Amino acid sequence: MSTTTVTERVDRLDRMWTARPGLLGWLTTTDHKRIGLLYFWTTLVFFGAGGVEALTMRTQLIEPNSHLVGPELYNQLFTVHGMTMIFWFIIPMTTGAFGNYLVPLMVGARDLAFPRLNALSFWIFVASGIFLYIGLFSGFGPDAGWFDYVPLASKLYDPGRNIEFYTLAVIFNGMSSTLTAANLIVTILKLRAPGMSFNRMPLFCFAFLAASLGLLFALPSLTADTIFLYLDRNVGTHFFDPSHGGSTLLWQHLFWFFGHPEVYILIVPAFGIATEIIPAFTQRKMIAFPLVAIAELLVVFIGFGVWAHHMFATGIPTTTLIFFAGATAMVVIPSTIQVFAWSTSILVGRPQFKTPLLFIVGFIFMFVVGGLTGIMFLAIPFDQQTTDTYFVIAHFHYIIFGAAVFPIFGGMYYWFPKVTGKLYFELPGQISFWILMVGTNLLFFPMHIVGLLGMPRRVYTYPANMGWGSYNLAETIGGYITGIGILVLFANLVVSYFRGAPAGPDPWHGPTLEWSIPSPPPEYNFAVLPVVSSPYPNWDHDDRELDGRRLEAGEGLLDQGHQQRVSALIDGWRVGIADMPHSSPWPIVSAFVLTLMFTVLVVEKFVVAAFLAIVLLATFLGWHSKEPQEH
Amino acid sequence: MTEITAETLDPRARERFPIGWWGMAIVVASEGTLFAMMVGTYFYLRFRTPVWPPAGVPKPHVLVPAVVLGCLVLTAIPMRLASVAGQAGRLRATRWLLVLATLVQAGYFWVEVWSYLEDLEKSTPQRDAYDSIYYTLLGADHAHIAIGVLLNLWLLWKLRYGFTQYRTTALRAISFFWLAVIVMTVVVILTTLSPSFT
Repeated sequence: MSTTTVTERVDRLDRMWTARPGLLGWLTTTDHKRIGLLYFWTTLVFFGAGGVEALTMRTQLIEPNSHLVGPELYNQLFTVHGMTMIFWFIIPMTTGAFGNYLVPLMVGARDLAFPRLNALSFWIFVASGIFLYIGLFSGFGPDAGWFDYVPLASKLYDPGRNIEFYTLAVIFNGMSSTLTAANLIVTILKLRAPGMSFNRMPLFCFAFLAASLGLLFALPSLTADTIFLYLDRNVGTHFFDPSHGGSTLLWQHLFWFFGHPEVYILIVPAFGIATEIIPAFTQRKMIAFPLVAIAELLVVFIGFGVWAHHMFATGIPTTTLIFFAGATAMVVIPSTIQVFAWSTSILVGRPQFKTPLLFIVGFIFMFVVGGLTGIMFLAIPFDQQTTDTYFVIAHFHYIIFGAAVFPIFGGMYYWFPKVTGKLYFELPGQISFWILMVGTNLLFFPMHIVGLLGMPRRVYTYPANMGWGSYNLAETIGGYITGIGILVLFANLVVSYFRGAPAGPDPWHGPTLEWSIPSPPPEYNFAVLPVVSSPYPNWDHDDRELDGRRLEAGEGLLDQGHQQRVSALIDGWRVGIADMPHSSPWPIVSAFVLTLMFTVLVVEKFVVAAFLAIVLLATFLGWHSKEPQEH
Repeated sequence: MTEITAETLDPRARERFPIGWWGMAIVVASEGTLFAMMVGTYFYLRFRTPVWPPAGVPKPHVLVPAVVLGCLVLTAIPMRLASVAGQAGRLRATRWLLVLATLVQAGYFWVEVWSYLEDLEKSTPQRDAYDSIYYTLLGADHAHIAIGVLLNLWLLWKLRYGFTQYRTTALRAISFFWLAVIVMTVVVILTTLSPSFT
């Protein structure tokens, strides 16, 4: 077969998959890469907002008796900061941006399983974030902490609309996360390349499967909780009212049944990122691959059985405390397996300490420190002494910023050449890492000490004679250094985008399938759907040469439309072909109607909300009016 | 080097469930967890309350809810048969089975809503925690029944012009949705009736 024929085949795929141009193209896109990029940019905006809130709080606490902001605004700042960083930055950045862009590429698919649902999920996410910030800017930002404990969040103690913005924004955002999780699960289970049985699936995909399953089964608990709170506040029910048979602890049980798995949902994708960067920059396969894969799933699974360790100071029975302390100790096992696997893989490989790997080394350090302080909380008396102090804040920021965000930064550098087709500048990248490493440790480590000295969390200021001033000063300096590090990081990426050298398809000799295609990837991802015989398919040169021969022979092209092969659940064999939808206006229209519905619920216009629910159903009829092609 | 190609069809790898069915399975998993949380809340509140239902609140009637629940459970049969008929391409049988199931399910919905409204005349969700969870649990379940009936009507509308692969997948997914809703309804109704069993 001649080269011309190959070119013609690729051109045909190009024409078939080319997206609608311009703004309308982006608004109606269903392409996983475009939606991944939309997630990326939007979550960065929310990250910026959460960062400004954090720096405002740190500036307030730089000295005793400061009054930069008052207590009411401070309450809203720490609440919205926590909500933003968890629900509008880390989850959407990992599952939404990284998951969307990379999972189909790694499993050898052309899109996610439900492309229009993916678009709906993105637009709901955007709308829910705008919804939350409308609350903040109108003076009704949520103000009872990100865990929103009752009775503080009840109508009696918080009579404004602040908590309505919390409950509805969380439910709204939860819909988006659930849809994304569903899409990733079905994609990983059913759209894998030929030969990609579970034992040949990249560890990145195991991590995203674990996080998605976690989201799927954890979020309903939060949804039920927030529905109950909304009903208590707006309909007059008594779920959390002990004087009428309700229970305030019910809120905490339901919240933490979601909240603790949530921690693993945040960090497991980061584990997945680490397990891609380490092989690429050590040029060796991950040590203990099956154990790491199982550990990624197990850490989320065990996470569902430990929720009450957040409630050691609530007066629940001692037997319960001991059970949950023991269950929490079990989390150490899969976590430690992974730490040893990452560390050993680096030690026995040929590590090149470029920026992505530096961030992973930083991540391992921060995760170990945060993990060790986490183990300290197993000692029930210690937990009861330090609960609600800055020690807790130090612990979870080492985990959430150090263990979740550091790999995200590393991942940004690692996949930057794939997404943009350009190489980033190495020296500024390494500088940004070291600034961030110094900044975050200066920011969060003194919080351990000031917490042990008794400084409670969520206080907007403190008296001068407590001995907390110098630690808070150091933390605030650390906060600004961290901010500078983040600015250097993004400035480097922006400059690299415009001036970076061409990257080529595979600048790192990466192990997974995304490195086998051009950078940036074409809209159809793979001209020939690849064949896989190991978890490191890009290192299987014979298989990749086979792809080339099949392209020449016209095998495995699927060029009769927006086609995607469907695979068997366990072994990845082909069982059919699905027709993937093109761009569609219905996701953004449905998200718009849903936004209106949630907005009127804030002001208790239930009849209007019911009418909008009917309009929403009508949009779904429009959504399904056009059926896919038959093959 | 592997010997397989993308065109290889393993004879053991049959397409048991299409992607749309998997999507529905995920929805069911999520909704099932939501109901599990609500049922868990019911029993959490129950075991913290010495008298359940609280004094002055009558225990729920068993007979009528049990009979109509039995009717709803039986609709799993025509829904399953419709799914099988749909995969065999028997359009007429599929339609009639769907119509039969939809009529019974809509009837169940009507009886339950009527009963719900009648209950509201005796006590309201604002009365105490028992009534709060009782009405919330039943309301959530009724909403799922309503969605199921709407899905059936949409499917019947779609089947006016015969089968496509898309409609067959929808039929299988909706049939599975109903199976899950019936299981959830059994759990919810037994939960709300549980005070009458003691």
